[in-house]
Amino acid sequence: MRAHLARRWSAAAALLFLSLVPAACKRGGSSAGTASKTIGVSLLTREDEFYRQLEAGLRQGAAAHGYALVLNSGDRDLAKQQSQIDDFIVRHVDAIIVCPVDSKGIGPAIQRANKAGIPVFTADIAADGGTVVAHVASDNVAGGKLAADYIARALGGKGDVGIIGEPDVQSTIDREAGFKQALAAYPGLHLVADLNGSGTRDHALKAADDMLQAHPKLNAIFAINDESALGALSSAQSHHADQLIIVGYDAGAEAQRAIAGGTQLKADVAQQPKQIGERTIDAIADYLAGKAPAARIAVPVRIVDADSVKAMAAAAPQQ
Amino acid sequence: MNVPRMTWQRVADSMLALATVVEATVFAFIAPGFFSLDNAVNVLLSVAVTGILAVGMTAVILTAGIDLSVGSVVALTGVTGAMAAAHGFMPATMALLVAVLVGTATGVVNGTLTAYLEVPAFISTLAMLTIARGLAFIVSGGRSIGDLPSSFGALGRSVIAGIPAPVLVMAAVMLAGSFVLRRTVFGRHIYAIGGNTEAAWLAGVNTKRVIWWVYVLNGALAGIGGLTLASRLGAGVPNAGQQYELDVIAAVVVGGASLFGGRGTIAGTLWGTVFIGVLTNGLNLANVDPYVQKIALGVVIVLAVVGDEISRRKRSAG
Repeated sequence: MRAHLARRWSAAAALLFLSLVPAACKRGGSSAGTASKTIGVSLLTREDEFYRQLEAGLRQGAAAHGYALVLNSGDRDLAKQQSQIDDFIVRHVDAIIVCPVDSKGIGPAIQRANKAGIPVFTADIAADGGTVVAHVASDNVAGGKLAADYIARALGGKGDVGIIGEPDVQSTIDREAGFKQALAAYPGLHLVADLNGSGTRDHALKAADDMLQAHPKLNAIFAINDESALGALSSAQSHHADQLIIVGYDAGAEAQRAIAGGTQLKADVAQQPKQIGERTIDAIADYLAGKAPAARIAVPVRIVDADSVKAMAAAAPQQ
Repeated sequence: MNVPRMTWQRVADSMLALATVVEATVFAFIAPGFFSLDNAVNVLLSVAVTGILAVGMTAVILTAGIDLSVGSVVALTGVTGAMAAAHGFMPATMALLVAVLVGTATGVVNGTLTAYLEVPAFISTLAMLTIARGLAFIVSGGRSIGDLPSSFGALGRSVIAGIPAPVLVMAAVMLAGSFVLRRTVFGRHIYAIGGNTEAAWLAGVNTKRVIWWVYVLNGALAGIGGLTLASRLGAGVPNAGQQYELDVIAAVVVGGASLFGGRGTIAGTLWGTVFIGVLTNGLNLANVDPYVQKIALGVVIVLAVVGDEISRRKRSAG
């Protein structure tokens, strides 16, 4: 009975595999010849407003330069991302853009691309290992500093501060590092808690619950992305922590509404993901034209509060 | 066969209860704000969704099955529930109805694949894990569904007699689950299947139908859990519930259930849930480094299961 089942399963798996092979070959063949230059992209994820904006910037840039994009997402899975890059090498694309799932882990795959003579560019998250022509990203350390400066101003330089972080991702680690660096310049501000919110709303909510439980008089929370900030906001509301100031990161639509709506979420550090995408394509265009782009291209960040959200809404009513 | 098992389970439950008390005593000294009624409520609130899911998972594991899809179903039902509420017609009721229906539908797929088509539960529910997550992103367009009528928050945010509503939901689900498992024919059939499927079948139990219902009910409970979480968050969030399946399975196993089926109780699951909840809460309050927390959680799960296994062997030997 069991052996019979196992046979059936392996037969099913083999069938599935065989049916995928011709489809994969077809896909590989069709788009190779259609455009002058093909760029392989492996995103970190597509399940995130930031990456959708970045993807939009990539598409816009590629359209402007007449490049064909092969867009894949690593879905936060290193093995998947590595095999996507290996696929790009086999297809012999003209350039590769990676938003690494894991900065160190992606190194060997980049080295394989280097060996095949395909230029590699990174966007948003840097790689550690292999040769990368240019890295295009927000200045996350500067963003963390902006958040600390905002909190210091709002609290008059005095109070207890907590961080809801995501210690598995380099860009959010940088934000936290910048925040801590700037905080050190304010002797009246004390970092009393630093918890992991996993970058998601539900985990951040639990972390904020515990933080407010341990420190009921907490004055401010720095959350390393919007989902964490909105989770902290839910927690602050149910704890009736009305004095709390929350500063988030990313300034997506929902966070902007919360900032404009007079909640405890007072400000956000805004990145410009679309610009990151466009500038990455520009760097590739420079490289393919024989010019050397800068090795690190920093896309500026800025702080957004209730006034600037209202100003932005007035300037661009559809966004 | 049943009598010694239940007695043993009681011993295991009381040992876990004792371990929880020891754990809480340690945190009372090292974690600021831990030893207070406020924090006790906070811990229960933080485990409420896990606790709701753990009741269905206990039944699934009793049949020697597994359901890896609950975390994704939490996201899918939270998102669809929020979308139902967004229409504004009886928001809270419609949200609950839709969430439970959608959750039940995923359970029907899991149950049909597992019970009738004999796909291993690990595979069928792993497929549902990715399918439900994908659906959650498609129906929501990848964005959180927020800005909902205020009654949407009723299930997650209201407080009745000092107790948050999610805790009351968890208590009700646990009482109902315990009743079904202990006092109904359906419940006894679940234990019988986990103990020995073939013997249960020979004794006239329609094993496939019982297993089908276990997955269906587990899906419905994931819908209740998903809506409770969404209501607490004030939004349906497509990336919510990540790795909940692992938290839930850990709670059930720490609570003394056997992954080989036939052994486990809701009381044990409650203690397992609380034990892990106290651990995460205490480590957070003590501001322990997040990396160290991950290790501590893993070590504790292994210790609990190994301790359980050793004392069980001793008992069956002596």
